[in-house]
Amino acid sequence: MEEHLTFIGSVTAQLVRAVPVTLLILAVSGVCATVLATGLTAMSVARSPLPRLIQRTWTFLFRGTPLILQIFMIYYGFAMVPWIRHGILWAAFRDPVFCTCLAMTCCCSAYIAEIFRGALAAVPRGEIEAGRACGMTGFMLLRRVIAPSLIRIALPSYSNEIIMMTKSTSLASTITVLDITGVAQQVIAHSYRTLDVFCAAAALYLLINATLSTLLTALERRLDVDRAPTPLAPIPPTLEPLS
Amino acid sequence: MTVPPPVLTATNIRKSFGDREVLAGISLEAREGEVISILGGSGSGKSTFLRCLNLLEVPDEGQIAIGDVQAPLARNRHGRLEVSDSRAAARLRTQTAMVFQGFNLWPHLTVLQNVMEAPLRVHRRDREEVLATARSLLERVGMASFHAAYPKRLSGGQQQRVAIARALATNPKLVLFDEPTSALDPERVREVLALMRSLAEEGRTMIVVTHEMAFARDVSSRVVHLMNGRVESSGPPAHMFGADASPAFRAFLSPAAL
Repeated sequence: MEEHLTFIGSVTAQLVRAVPVTLLILAVSGVCATVLATGLTAMSVARSPLPRLIQRTWTFLFRGTPLILQIFMIYYGFAMVPWIRHGILWAAFRDPVFCTCLAMTCCCSAYIAEIFRGALAAVPRGEIEAGRACGMTGFMLLRRVIAPSLIRIALPSYSNEIIMMTKSTSLASTITVLDITGVAQQVIAHSYRTLDVFCAAAALYLLINATLSTLLTALERRLDVDRAPTPLAPIPPTLEPLS
Repeated sequence: MTVPPPVLTATNIRKSFGDREVLAGISLEAREGEVISILGGSGSGKSTFLRCLNLLEVPDEGQIAIGDVQAPLARNRHGRLEVSDSRAAARLRTQTAMVFQGFNLWPHLTVLQNVMEAPLRVHRRDREEVLATARSLLERVGMASFHAAYPKRLSGGQQQRVAIARALATNPKLVLFDEPTSALDPERVREVLALMRSLAEEGRTMIVVTHEMAFARDVSSRVVHLMNGRVESSGPPAHMFGADASPAFRAFLSPAAL
């Protein structure tokens, strides 16, 4: 029994050292996918048909194929393309962490763009009209009226997508990345204690996702003005609390 | 005595949605201090007409001017009228304000922030000055003690009073009211109408699309009756609600009598 606990302790310590790799992939692809999704959302409501077509095709391709195939195509497939293999891009494409981040950015941006697109359609027309009616245009309308509502509508689904992404990072282990799952498989390869090691790895993913979902729920509550109590107070003579 | 200058001049406004002609050529001039009530059955085009005045709808034909500034409407290469300069259109809208049937307050901003938003961000006025104006407007509409509340927490009547304060915050030349009391229960209708009456009395130029006949009769300086996308009849309320009113308007006032 004591040997068992010592083993789990040492495995956990090894796995914890791989947490930064998992978090790096999550952070890079999470940020890039969100930025890309914002662009795709803008394209989906463009006036000219070409950007709309690009957005639809992007979603069709990256949402319709398995992420693991996308990772394989980028990591193994692009290595077969001579101008990549022998060009300056090779420095990036030979790196499995880069390839995972790229595949996840493309794939998840398609999902996140769909979340944003739905949220944009759900922003009440009247709020936007009230903004236009008082003379707001373009960027100000987006920043002051559309985005605040859009973010509140999108956040629950967006949080869900981030949690899914955390788990998807484990696919990096299939292309030699030593993330939490990669290290777990490595340890199993010479200890054969499959269940113990995978349980320890699963616990780490649970911990990461519990933290993320706590943060995202806190953000959701913070933005949720409907829950705010109605304070009854005179207007202060001078004012600081404006956004 | 001089005639006050026109605040709004709309000429021959036409608008169709698909095959349905909603506005069949409506002209309207509003002079400073006038309160114009636009009445008509549902589908008569009155809301569409109002929304053309601040270019929330782009008319198919016609011209609009606020003061002496023409709305930037020009034909595109397909011959359809469209807003040719969206900045100029936005500038024009800053001279007007609109009060909506559904209030349309910004839900993520407090009552005070809603009122301060346009003068602060769009007009870029001095914050202290905007705050002073917002405070006196909220006091006037009886909502000062709710300044820190978010709109969802307020009743419909309270939201509409805040929306009216928001509309006045930029000191617009013209306030457009799009059925401001239609979404309210009778109790709340009274408080909003009383507020609108006080605005009329201080000389605000207002165009009001409404079903409130008493308001049209007692407060407005002119009543316009729309029917089938046209001005069926118009005139001062004494005439419109008097014995010489047009038969169609009389029928509209008391459909049961026919």
